[in-house]
Amino acid sequence: MQTMVEARNLRKTYKRADGSTIEAVKGVDLDILQGEIFSLLGPNGAGKTTTISMISGLVAPTEGDAEIGGYSITRQPMEAKRLMGFVPQEIALYPELSARQNLSFFGRMYGLGGKSLSRRVDELLEFVDLADRQSDRIDTFSGGMKRRVNLAAGLLNSPPLIYMDEPTVGIDPQSRRRILDTVKMLRDEQDMTVLYTTHLMEEAQELSNRVGIMDHGEIIAMGTQAELTQQVGEEDRLEIMTGAQNVGEALIGSMQQEIAGVTRVLFNPPEQIGDNGSESTPARLTVFAKRGRTALPQIIQTLDAAGIDIQSVEVREPDLEAVFLALTGRALRD
Amino acid sequence: MRSILTIILNDLKIYSSQRGNLVGLLVIPVLLTVVIGWSLGRIGGGGPTRLRVDLIDLDGSDMSAQLIEELRAANDALVLCPPDNDADDYCRLEDEPLDMDRAIERARSGRTSALIAIPAGYAAALNDFQTVTIDYYSRSDPMQPGPVLQSLNAVLQRTSSASMTKGVSSALLDNLTNAVTLPALDGETRDSFLNTIYHRALQLSTYQPPAVLFRVVDANEDESGIDNGFNQSAPGMGSLYVMFTVLGGMAVLLRERRQWTLQRLMALPLSRAQILGAKIGVYFTLGMIQFFIVFAVGAAFGMDFGSSPPALLATMAAFVLCITALTFALAPWIKSEGQANGLVLLLSLSLAPLGGAWWPLEIVPEFMQTIGHLSPVAWAMDAFQDLIWYDGGFTEVIPEIAVLMAAAAVLFIIGIRSFKYD
Repeated sequence: MQTMVEARNLRKTYKRADGSTIEAVKGVDLDILQGEIFSLLGPNGAGKTTTISMISGLVAPTEGDAEIGGYSITRQPMEAKRLMGFVPQEIALYPELSARQNLSFFGRMYGLGGKSLSRRVDELLEFVDLADRQSDRIDTFSGGMKRRVNLAAGLLNSPPLIYMDEPTVGIDPQSRRRILDTVKMLRDEQDMTVLYTTHLMEEAQELSNRVGIMDHGEIIAMGTQAELTQQVGEEDRLEIMTGAQNVGEALIGSMQQEIAGVTRVLFNPPEQIGDNGSESTPARLTVFAKRGRTALPQIIQTLDAAGIDIQSVEVREPDLEAVFLALTGRALRD
Repeated sequence: MRSILTIILNDLKIYSSQRGNLVGLLVIPVLLTVVIGWSLGRIGGGGPTRLRVDLIDLDGSDMSAQLIEELRAANDALVLCPPDNDADDYCRLEDEPLDMDRAIERARSGRTSALIAIPAGYAAALNDFQTVTIDYYSRSDPMQPGPVLQSLNAVLQRTSSASMTKGVSSALLDNLTNAVTLPALDGETRDSFLNTIYHRALQLSTYQPPAVLFRVVDANEDESGIDNGFNQSAPGMGSLYVMFTVLGGMAVLLRERRQWTLQRLMALPLSRAQILGAKIGVYFTLGMIQFFIVFAVGAAFGMDFGSSPPALLATMAAFVLCITALTFALAPWIKSEGQANGLVLLLSLSLAPLGGAWWPLEIVPEFMQTIGHLSPVAWAMDAFQDLIWYDGGFTEVIPEIAVLMAAAAVLFIIGIRSFKYD
C-alpha cells in the first residue's frame, strides 16, 4: 500500500511566559498508509493535537517535516492541504450561520461554486443526516449535531485523507455511535485514509487498522492491535478496586512471589477529589497474571488475609489499555 | 483574490446577522450625529456665534456712539454688554452695574471674550485730529487676533481713515479761505461741513470691502445654519464610531481563534497572507461603511463635503486603515472578550475627544492641541476641516494622510508579526 502521510522527526517547542521552553512533541516519526484508519491514542496533553496540527499545516514544526501524498506540508502547503480534510476537536463553525451557510462558505474556500457546490452540500447534509435542519443556525444545534456538521465541513473537498481530532468529545452515546460508524464508512466505502486521535481506548480498538500510542510528546508504541498487545504478552489484567487501606510494598512483593502466574502488581492509592478534597477515588490494584481467572481466588484470599477491603474485581483480556499501562505505569484515564 | 472576497463577504454576513452590531453600526451613530449636529448647529450654525464683549463708553459722545454702532455692524456675532443684553441676561450682568473694574475682571477670567473701553475725550481728540487710545482687554493671544479684535481693528481703521479725511479737508478749507476771497465761515458752519466730510468718509469706507473679513456663519446663508453643526458632527461621530466598529474586531479575532474557525481556515489551501488580508479587508470595509453611513446622515442635513471628493475619500480610507492596523496590533495581546470590549471603550472614548471628534480642537488650549495630535482622530479631523470647512484640496491634506498612513504601516508591521493563528 502507498504511504499517504510520512512524518519525520516532528518536533514542537513552545516558549513559556517565564522564558523557559516546553517540548510538546519530541521527534515523532509516523507513516500512515492509504486507506487505513490510523489512531493516535494517548491521554490528554500527550501531544496528539499538536502533532495533528503540525501535519495539517496549522502549526509550523520547530523541527522536522511531514509529507502528504508526496507534498511537504512546510514547503508545498497548498498542494498538501488540497489532499486533506480537517475535523478539529472544537466545533470550528460559525454559530451565527446555518448548517448550509457554513458548508457553502467552506466549500467556496475549496474552490467549489455554483451547482457543484450546492450538490456537494446536499450530499453531505444527507450523509450526516441533517438535511431537515440545514437552514437552522448552528447555535441552535445539539452537541452531536454540531459534531456532525463539523465532520461534514471536513469532507467538502472529497479528500483522500482526513484528520479527525477527538471528534466524539462531549457528545451523547447515540451521536458517538453515529460518528464512529461514519468514520468506518469513509474507509470502507470511500477508501479514505483517516488519522484519528482519541484518548478513548475503546474507540481506537474499534476503528483502527493501526494505532500509535502517545505519551509526553512521544510515540511510545505503534502497530496493529495484535502487535501492540503482544508487547504485554498473553497476560490478563485484573482490576481490583479496594477500600482506603494502603497496599504496601511487602504485600505486593509477596503476591508477585507466592501466587502462581502473577507477573506484576501496580497499586494506585485513593486520590482526594472534589472541593477541599472532600471525596476520594477508590484505590486500584492492577495485577498482571497469566491465566488471570485461575489466579483470582488466591489473589482474593491474600488480600482478604491482609485486611484489604475488596469492592470490585474485573478481569480483562490483553488490550491497548494494558499496553499503555505496561509501557507507562499509568492508566490512560490518568 | 476570490477567496479573500469570499471571506470578507462571509464575515460581513456574520456581522450583520447580529442585531446588536447593526444597532452599533446604524442606529446609535445616526442618532448621535443628528443630535450633536443639531446641537452644534444651534451653537455654531443657527446664526453667528455670539461673543460676549463688555463695552465701557467713558466718552458718551455721538462719535463714540457711532463707533459702537460701527462695531455692532462689523460683526453681528458680538453681543455688546450691557447695551445689547437681552431679557435672558446673556451678558450675565445679573442686574449689577458694569464698571471698569468689574469689566476688567470679567475679561481676565474669560467670562467675556473681551472688554473695549472708549476713553473720555474720544470725540474731542478726533475733532482735534489727536491720537486717541481705545483700551482692549482679552485673554486671547494678541499675536493671533480673534474675531473681536479683528472687528475692532476693522472699525478703527475706518474711523481713522474718516478722521484723517476730515483733517485733510480742514486743512484744504483753511487753504481755500486764505487763497480765495471767500466769506469767513463761522465755527458752526465749519464744524458742520467737516462733520459731513467725516461721516461721508466713514460711510464710503464702510461700503468698501472691509480690510478684515470675519464670518462665523456658513457661506450658505439661506439655510438655517444646521450645516455648520453637521460639518463638525459627521466627521467627528464618523471617526468615533469607526473606532467602535473597527476596534471591536479585537474581540471577534479572539473569538475566531477560540471557536477554531480561524484554524479551520488555516487548514484550507489558503496562504496566511490571504487569510490576514481578508481579515484586514473585513474591518477596513466595516470602517468605510460606518463613515459612509454617518456622512450620508450629514448629506441628508445639507452637510458641506468640500470640493475634493477624492481627497475626502483618501482621508477616510487613511483613518480607517490606521484604526484597522491598531486593531491588529492590539488583538494578539487580548486574553478575553471582556478585556477587548473594555479596551474598545477606553480607546474610543479617549482618542475621539482628545483628537477633536466631539468639539473642534481650536477651542482647547494649545498644549491640549499638541497632546491631541497623539490621537489619529486629530489628524483625520484636521484633514476633514481643511476639506470641509476651508474647501481645501488634495495638496492641503497630504501631510495628514501621510501621518495616518505612516502610523498604519508601523502598527501593521507590529500586528502582522504578532498575529496569532492558533
